[in-house]
Amino acid sequence: MTDHPSPLAPDLIRMRAIVKVYPPNVLALDDVTVSFDDGEIHALVGENGAGKSTLMKVLYGLIHQDGGEILYQDRSVRFRTPGEAIAAGIGMVHQEIVLVNEYTVWENIVLGAEPVDWLGRIDETRSRQQVQAIIDQFHFDLDPDAQVDDISVAARQKVEILKLLYRKVSVLILDEPTAVLTPQEIPQLFAELRELRDEGHTIIFISHRLEEVLALSDRVTVLRKGRLVATVPAAGTTRAELAELMVGREVLFTSRRTPQEPGEVVFAVAGLRYEDGRGRVRLKDVTLQVRAGELVGVAGVEGNGQFELVNAITGLLKPTAGTIEVAGEDVTAAPVLERRRHIAYVPQDRGRMGGSLPASVVENAIMTHHRLNAELVRWRGLLLDNGAARRFTDRLAEAFAVSMPSRSSPLRSLSGGNQQKVILGRELLLDSPFILLDQPTRGLDVGSIEYVHDQMLAMRGAGRALLMISANLEEIFMLADRIVVLHRGEIVADVPVEQASIEQIGRYMLEGNDATL
Amino acid sequence: MGKFLNAALGIVIALFIGALIMLAQGYDPLASYAALFQFSLGSPYALATTLKNAVPLVLTGLSAAIAFASGPVNLGQPGQLIMGALAATVGGLYLDLPPWLMIPVLALLAMAGGALWSGLAALLRQAFQMSEFIVTLMLNIIADYFALWVITGPLKDATAYSPMTPPIARSGWLPEFGDWNSAIFWMLAAVALMWFLYNRTRAGYEWRMGGQNSLFARLGGCPVNRNFVLVMLLTGALAGLAGGLLIMGGPHRFLRGLGANYAWDGVMIAIVANNSIIGTLFYGLFFSAIQTGALGMELITDVPSEIALVLQGVLVLVIVASREALHKVADRLAVRRRAADAAKNERAVAQEIERG
Repeated sequence: MTDHPSPLAPDLIRMRAIVKVYPPNVLALDDVTVSFDDGEIHALVGENGAGKSTLMKVLYGLIHQDGGEILYQDRSVRFRTPGEAIAAGIGMVHQEIVLVNEYTVWENIVLGAEPVDWLGRIDETRSRQQVQAIIDQFHFDLDPDAQVDDISVAARQKVEILKLLYRKVSVLILDEPTAVLTPQEIPQLFAELRELRDEGHTIIFISHRLEEVLALSDRVTVLRKGRLVATVPAAGTTRAELAELMVGREVLFTSRRTPQEPGEVVFAVAGLRYEDGRGRVRLKDVTLQVRAGELVGVAGVEGNGQFELVNAITGLLKPTAGTIEVAGEDVTAAPVLERRRHIAYVPQDRGRMGGSLPASVVENAIMTHHRLNAELVRWRGLLLDNGAARRFTDRLAEAFAVSMPSRSSPLRSLSGGNQQKVILGRELLLDSPFILLDQPTRGLDVGSIEYVHDQMLAMRGAGRALLMISANLEEIFMLADRIVVLHRGEIVADVPVEQASIEQIGRYMLEGNDATL
Repeated sequence: MGKFLNAALGIVIALFIGALIMLAQGYDPLASYAALFQFSLGSPYALATTLKNAVPLVLTGLSAAIAFASGPVNLGQPGQLIMGALAATVGGLYLDLPPWLMIPVLALLAMAGGALWSGLAALLRQAFQMSEFIVTLMLNIIADYFALWVITGPLKDATAYSPMTPPIARSGWLPEFGDWNSAIFWMLAAVALMWFLYNRTRAGYEWRMGGQNSLFARLGGCPVNRNFVLVMLLTGALAGLAGGLLIMGGPHRFLRGLGANYAWDGVMIAIVANNSIIGTLFYGLFFSAIQTGALGMELITDVPSEIALVLQGVLVLVIVASREALHKVADRLAVRRRAADAAKNERAVAQEIERG
């Protein structure tokens, strides 16, 4: 069971049998043992929810393990706070960049660890010199006097890395560092990371982009559903092999649709425009149609108008101009319930929009149906028929294979995948001609994702019109008939999937109309 | 199960802390508690008094519990109680109907008076997005001084030496059956009706969901704005009814300072009960028992009746704190169980492998 490391193994960090439980019963890390060598780039891959970030947060002292131990330089350690981890030489760069925009690069780097003179004033000259020295040492291309407001996201990320190097950190943990970068910026980051490794730093790199992982790292550790799958050398491993380790079986990045002739237009927005309170244009002349039996995927980097488009459709925000029609009815100004007669909606945030976590499964299952389905009420809708509500929930649970402790358990006690099945089932049972899905598989495990995809394709086969917003291009390519790309609130591409390539859609997402093909 | 444990634990700890305080001041806690419960629960008369005193506590508590659980932060129970009492008083002074009609009419007037006051806050919220939290608090002060003006001005009893109205018509007095005032039945009926409304009707379902997650309710097609107004009107009516029953069951006239603390105690009870309707009835009765018993205790022991306030305060803190603590303990137990399970599986798998 336990493998005995040879005495010569240059383990810098050894995490042994780490267990982490999120209350009440989510097993985020289940007996994970992994070691990181001195001076390597070690990638940590796995799907959403595999436990990558959790494992690193445990190492970094942001959260604490419920079992297992961490050996660092052959000593057992337990960092109570990230500050202790940094002091010991372990630092983490999070996905979200947290800098003071009004400060310069050097001010941000020394912030919290400023060299001071004998009066306690910040020694600006020395600070600048020290920062410049690190920038030169690692050949970072960065101006220490630039204001953070004015520099690119890639440069800000470098500032985050430099903050840690300034604090003499020798182990760098990077959480999906390429997620915020454009494809053109990635090679430079990689070059700088290799430089750091060659200078003797250890880099732990969290990602789910397999090509990048193979291009950059020395070794790769794969996690799946909180368990360690394998640690393999990057050299000699293929992308398909990694994907198989990640998912647990062979995956095909190909379309799962069967060809089907779409019917008449069910959903149409025309000239949709939205300006926010500060007069910024969030949606610009968006025109889009979805036909019966058609699945349209909306691609785009998050924050390019997806949120506003969804909210305009569901009625949470009032568009400045344009119309929204569903099943021949103009619902642009209709109240939410009027829209919900025609629109099924699977929101991206289960706990905030999709359901009420403290409420029972039954209470979550009958939402909207309690207004539209006469079987669930008595006395002209005054009373709820609790018996009918329970029967309805049982039907939903059976049809959508929901596994739950009991009907009356709070939604919170279900796993994420089962919560999503309750919500998806509720919405699909509405029998609406149009189905809006906003990141329907975000944060789900592989099995649940496949289940959700199957249900969506079944709906497409049944002649419903589906509009799916997804941040995951592979998902869109796998399911959609047509791909629409949103860039800065504008539709910059609307192409049948057969005529689109991932690279081309990616360029549209990043560069909008300037994308040259 | 957890709820009962929480309540029992809270009450025992609160009584224990109260005993320590009495000991520190040189009183005999056992004798004091014996007197306290003798005068609140120990005889049919004591029990009837406790129940009657519980009426305004439970009704304002219901008002707060339903409002909080449904979303609106209605903190206007004191003002709504006063407006309800005032409306019932005015009705009782100018109407004279046979009792079977008079009593329901006055009760309805009281509810309308309370609903008017909470409705005003709801209206300001709908029209100008003014937070009902602050508006209801401010309306409390206005109601207070408005009532003072009414009983010192237009409706002042010329024969009385302090500000009060003349008594209402006898037909509006709530009948008493021996020691038992019929206000108790109004209270029990209101609790039963509210429980049914909240747990069995479609509107109650929408209020619950809206209170837990208003965005979810809104996206699900619930008319959230209309529900907000309805809940405000309903909870105002409940507080108003508390005021009306206070007039009809007690002094039969509006006296200065009427119902001064009942409504705030009601808000406190709702918080202790975690906005549960049955819990509100239970804690309302318990608070009333302490308050009623304390007055009796003062008669036969040296302990001042203010000890009831100390007990109430300690009870609120202990129960709210232990509720959170119990959650934490439960979470921690679940975590430990899960971790142990994982370790056990691990060992089992290891043994399997060793056996080959």
